[in-house]
Amino acid sequence: MAEVEDTLKRIQGYNGVIGSIVVNAEGIPIRTTLDNSTTVQYVGLLHQLTMKARSTIRDIDPQNDLTFLRIRSKKHEIMVAPDKEFLMIVIQSPTE
Amino acid sequence: MAERSDLKAELERKKQRLAQIREEKKRKEEERKKKESEMLQRTENVSEDSDLDRKRRETEALLQSIGISPEPPLVPTPMSPSSQSVSPASETGSQESIDGGTVGRTLQWDTDPLALQLLADSVHGCKMQRLGASKIVQIDFIPKELVSYSKETQTPVASDQPEEEEDEELSVPKSEPVPQQLEEEKLQEDEEVHPRELTNEEKEQIVHSEDFLFFFDRSIRVVERVLAEETDIFFDYSGRDMEDKEGDMQAGSNLSFNRHFYDEHWSKHRVVTSLDWSPQYPELLVASYNTNEDAPHEPDGVVLVWNMKFKKMTPEYIFHCQSSVMSVGFAQFHPNLVIGGTYSGQIALWDNRSHRRTPVQRTPLSATAHTHPVYCVNVVGTQNANNLITVSTDGKMCSWSLDMLSQPQESMELIYNKSKPVAVTCMAFPASDVNNYVVGSEEGTVYTASRHGSKAGIGEMFDGHQGPVTGISCHNAVGPVDFSHLFTTSSFDWTVKLWSTKHNKPLYSFEDNADYVYDVMWSPVHPALFATVDGNGRLDLWNLNNYTEVPSASVTVEGGCALNRVRWATGGREVAVGDSEGRVWIYDVGEQLAMSHTDDWSKFARTLMEIRANRGDEEEEGALELPA
Repeated sequence: MAEVEDTLKRIQGYNGVIGSIVVNAEGIPIRTTLDNSTTVQYVGLLHQLTMKARSTIRDIDPQNDLTFLRIRSKKHEIMVAPDKEFLMIVIQSPTE
Repeated sequence: MAERSDLKAELERKKQRLAQIREEKKRKEEERKKKESEMLQRTENVSEDSDLDRKRRETEALLQSIGISPEPPLVPTPMSPSSQSVSPASETGSQESIDGGTVGRTLQWDTDPLALQLLADSVHGCKMQRLGASKIVQIDFIPKELVSYSKETQTPVASDQPEEEEDEELSVPKSEPVPQQLEEEKLQEDEEVHPRELTNEEKEQIVHSEDFLFFFDRSIRVVERVLAEETDIFFDYSGRDMEDKEGDMQAGSNLSFNRHFYDEHWSKHRVVTSLDWSPQYPELLVASYNTNEDAPHEPDGVVLVWNMKFKKMTPEYIFHCQSSVMSVGFAQFHPNLVIGGTYSGQIALWDNRSHRRTPVQRTPLSATAHTHPVYCVNVVGTQNANNLITVSTDGKMCSWSLDMLSQPQESMELIYNKSKPVAVTCMAFPASDVNNYVVGSEEGTVYTASRHGSKAGIGEMFDGHQGPVTGISCHNAVGPVDFSHLFTTSSFDWTVKLWSTKHNKPLYSFEDNADYVYDVMWSPVHPALFATVDGNGRLDLWNLNNYTEVPSASVTVEGGCALNRVRWATGGREVAVGDSEGRVWIYDVGEQLAMSHTDDWSKFARTLMEIRANRGDEEEEGALELPA
């Protein structure tokens, strides 16, 4: 649907957003606004990290589950919205 | 003659020499072959007997060609058992066996291979040996296994297990790094391979799948809220201290701009026709919009649910309808439902649980329902017994059950004096009253009506406005004194009038506006406070305990558009205003103005008495005291 594209473009237009990626369960990027090599790098690393984070949450409490992951670094903020089957990654540089 | 004999003698001598040379050559070959066979016997296993025999036969054949008689074949049989005893390491044994077999030969070999070689060399001098390719056989021996033991101290049973685990871990990590590397390589390969495999068509398929759309809808909402946040969690108050304190200065002001809601796609060129705040979630606001003439292909009716809590500028939910939505409201007892009355007379019901943007239920376009635009929708009743009341401009009032919108539960024509139906533009129910309500009409008259009872239908008429009544609001604030008989109306005649249901003439007329007044609403918490909006873009807050002549607070909205609707938030601290350009403005009301004090009620009662007294003085005729 074109709405998906429009929505992703709108996200891209937010203040400070560097890129956004939508990934499926196998770690294959479905939609991305970054270049290929960066996408592959981000996807590979963040996919693993999300899995690890999810397993951590689950280990502490099996009834619990990961709903959102936010990594704040000096330069960027990476937001990961996980799902059973998909993963949405948005990279934003904080407005300062 | 002598020369010939000499020549002959020379020839014979040469022949003899040649024969000798041939003999020597043959001998050399035989020696070489012997050496080869010995080498073979040394390196090979015993099963190479046939090879040796073959070689023997060859040499015999050669000897025969020279003229030496072959030896009787005594050789093979004694050879085999003796050769079997040959061990790889012993050379001399083989030598002896060979020598033993070849004793009968005319040519004799010395036992030592070195001696043989020396003999050959000495006999033949420094003649070139014929070199030929020799068969190289390579045998690999398994390297000797070095068995090492790592013994640890024998400890009691309890700690044996961790030791075992440690051992297992030790052994496992060793094997793990290797398979991990392999896996990583495989993963990398997969990742490199997969993007090539997932073609664009496959991606499109995934994008269009329902699961993906569900995920996308949810995640986008969350991500947008997060993205819009601009709070700096690392803010250091010791650094920049003074700059941010200016924000507090505005707290003292009575009416300050908070934010506005506007969507490029959906609110542009549309008029905000109605607003409502959610009773369950005070931060949710629903706004309905009418047609966008510039975009004929877009749906005519749009309803957007906005969220005050987060800073994101996009609506929480977007709903469509085929006809302009003139009035909208949250279903009070059903948190997920949004009700809209449209220009065509249909009532549409949207559900935010479904992922559709179109209504989940719609009333039919029939004579039993409405056939004129529905400007008023309201859910009245209690949790268990509630009804949706809708009134259209042809004077028809219908009562519906939210479970079944296929036909109204009851419908009634609002006819005054049995003559003509009332063209209702606005409707209001007093607080906690499900039977009686007030309606304003296009002619400028206001009526009370009731749903059931002996006087079902239109009751009294209130005359006072000179133009169509645009907004009507019943006193909402609950307090020590009951003012539920009061209501205010706004009209095209530039005035706002205060009425009581007990008098058919207005109690007071507020004439501060210079344009059509489009809407009025009492504050839900303050007894003497109400808000009005007009066509000049002015938002006025009137506090009757302060002044009745002028508004206590007033602000003109940017853009200079006409303001169509005003709605107080349920807490009475914010006011939402909808304008003619599709923007919804949220204003914060200062505490002094918004919050009521305990004496406000009594003050207002006194104010009312004063108003009545003043009115009584002005109008000597005296208003008709209507029976309560």
